[in-house]
Amino acid sequence: MPPPPTPIMRVARYCLTVVTAAVLASPLHAQSEMPGMGMSGGWRMVPMDPNMIMLPGLTGVVPVVGAFLPAAGINPANFPEAEPSQVVEMIDGDTLDIEVSIVRRILNGHEMVMFGYNRQYPGPLIRAPKDATLVVRVRNEIELPTTIHWHGVRLDNEFDGVPGVTQEAIQRGESFVYEVHVPDAGMFWYHPHAREDVQQDLGLFGNLLVTSPNPSYYGPAHREEILVLDDILMDEQGVLPWGESAPTHALMGRFGNVMMVNGETNHQLSAKQGEVVRFFLTNVANSRTFNVTFGGAQVKLIASDVGRFEREAWVESVVIAPAERYVVDVRFEEPGTTLIANSIQAINHFRGEFYPHVDTLSIVTVSTETAAPGISDSFYSLRVHDEIAAELEPYRPHFNREPDYELEATVRVQDLPTPIVLAMEADTLFFPPMEWNDAMPVMNWLSTGDQVTWILKDRDTGAENNDIDWNFKVGDLVKIRIFNSPDSFHPMNHPIHIHGQRFLVTSMDGAENQNLSWKDTAIVPVGSSMDLLVEMSNPGEWMLHCHIAEHLHAGMMFSFTVQEQ
Amino acid sequence: MLYRQTLGLAVLISFTLPLATTSPIGAEEAGYCPLEGAEYYTVELVTTKNIPGTGLATGRADLSVPASSPFSVAISPDGSYEYLVRVSLERMKLPTEGRLVAWVTTRELDRIERLGPLDQNLTASGKVKWNKFLVVITLEADNNPEQSMWAGPIVFRGMSRSGMMHTMVGHGALQQENCAAYGYAN
Repeated sequence: MPPPPTPIMRVARYCLTVVTAAVLASPLHAQSEMPGMGMSGGWRMVPMDPNMIMLPGLTGVVPVVGAFLPAAGINPANFPEAEPSQVVEMIDGDTLDIEVSIVRRILNGHEMVMFGYNRQYPGPLIRAPKDATLVVRVRNEIELPTTIHWHGVRLDNEFDGVPGVTQEAIQRGESFVYEVHVPDAGMFWYHPHAREDVQQDLGLFGNLLVTSPNPSYYGPAHREEILVLDDILMDEQGVLPWGESAPTHALMGRFGNVMMVNGETNHQLSAKQGEVVRFFLTNVANSRTFNVTFGGAQVKLIASDVGRFEREAWVESVVIAPAERYVVDVRFEEPGTTLIANSIQAINHFRGEFYPHVDTLSIVTVSTETAAPGISDSFYSLRVHDEIAAELEPYRPHFNREPDYELEATVRVQDLPTPIVLAMEADTLFFPPMEWNDAMPVMNWLSTGDQVTWILKDRDTGAENNDIDWNFKVGDLVKIRIFNSPDSFHPMNHPIHIHGQRFLVTSMDGAENQNLSWKDTAIVPVGSSMDLLVEMSNPGEWMLHCHIAEHLHAGMMFSFTVQEQ
Repeated sequence: MLYRQTLGLAVLISFTLPLATTSPIGAEEAGYCPLEGAEYYTVELVTTKNIPGTGLATGRADLSVPASSPFSVAISPDGSYEYLVRVSLERMKLPTEGRLVAWVTTRELDRIERLGPLDQNLTASGKVKWNKFLVVITLEADNNPEQSMWAGPIVFRGMSRSGMMHTMVGHGALQQENCAAYGYAN
């Protein structure tokens, strides 16, 4: 590995940037001419916000990997049309067959070939009672090897769905039988753990709602709605190809430019005046963190990944990172139209500006009919769950102790196109804590998993990613501090997911978390340190990784073992 | 004689030791304080030297995320970051007349928020909900909570770290681009 550049070298490089730019700069391209233009290797130019411009020297450059589209060259009419998700009620011992297959969808006016679980978008919504064991027989009929990972579920290790760790990937025409034991109530989800950047993006995801035997586990609500948040990257020809042998968009992950809720681009709901709707939110996007607003409606936060918060709380928006889940109750007070939206301050690097950006996710039409029964009293009171506080009591003595392990998140690049390296090295004075949009679409697109290595480094041993060797015993409470270093080529927020266990975010940057809930995924902003207390309750070999699909495939993962006592 | 020695010693100390002491961030709400990478959450306050006794003074504003956020970041409904701001000055004394008051403002000065007067330790705390902003310390005639815009001279000013994210158009890699096309004068 070459030594880090000295300040003089950096200045020299910056000067070189200017010289290079002077040589390479071309007249400003009309952006409308760029997207969709033919390029080599089956690539099409990545669409860009018209406010952005392309870095000189990158015209005509394509990713170093080949382009992939599913069932390329086959008429989409040959495939069955996908259908909306259906609810599958299951009890202990029930069996569900899931076929992973190619489907036809019309998205944003384009007929497209996508993937589906049982030809549904999202996959079937599985509802099952806590402590049930479900049998799920999965058959793969797509061209890519696949698995199903049961995200957040503390199930037996052999059914965790990680190829090369807990099972071999399911090849086309093959099957695998999962036994999914669900010991926790909450909203979980399932998705492939093989080339998620492609398979998940093409529609392979579904929810698993585990219900509590306690009828008042949640407070009163008139009804429940599932909101699976996603985005997909499209141009006027349809979906943009993915990298064949390695992901593109390895720097920032693949942000879509078309928003979807439950696989639809025009999601709509209706509600009655005063209706309290319980929303189960799941973020299945490759990279995008959403800031979800509900118009002027009042929003009560009640639960996250693996259970309820100690105390319900009012929030003005829900920040949900890839793979996270949140449960909120929303009361629609006023008749009319309420927009559920992703409301962010996007970044335009070339102008050096933040700018407000709003994407409508769903339109809620609120009628003048009054919802019955009236439950406003219960809605406007915030419940305090003493039983959760009591459950957490044995863990509290560990909150303030020093971490057992410290991980540092960073990145290394090699062989990126020179203009990208020069431009990015000159732009290192400020990094936002969170990337809410793809602020550098072409540079991001051109960075592949072959050129970018995202790293989790054990600060004690120096071991990185799969060289990290952690071993625990069932019953261990392990404090892990994850520092997202801002001192790298391109730092970025990372949603960290731990398989098979549950954890508490005990503190952020030294400030103790005052309202806890069990989690399996939590996001670490750039420059922040997050302390996790992980309860090692489930034996086996388990993954810890970033849930930005492209970061995962660019190396940001490792497995640890938990042995029986 | 003893009085003059004591006074001299006090003056000497006042110019060699910081007068301001650290205090907990935001008395009303605890915030995150980055353990590492703190430079990304610090605004250097630079003296204007407009006020006697501030020529050698230094200042900073430390940003932290309110711990009350249930998420890893604190975001307003429009997507702006929410920070607790703690202003602290050193190597100067409180002025004998008027009050030092801390403000935050957008770069265009179209929105201004009053953080409040600096206390005896030359510190003040408040909140900001903008992504790019200036921190300004002014010397006001008195402490008027209703004041919406400063009237006195600026004593210190500084820009959030995000201010370093500036347009690349017209220089650097985009030196050849036409600034006017992007709303900037050549």
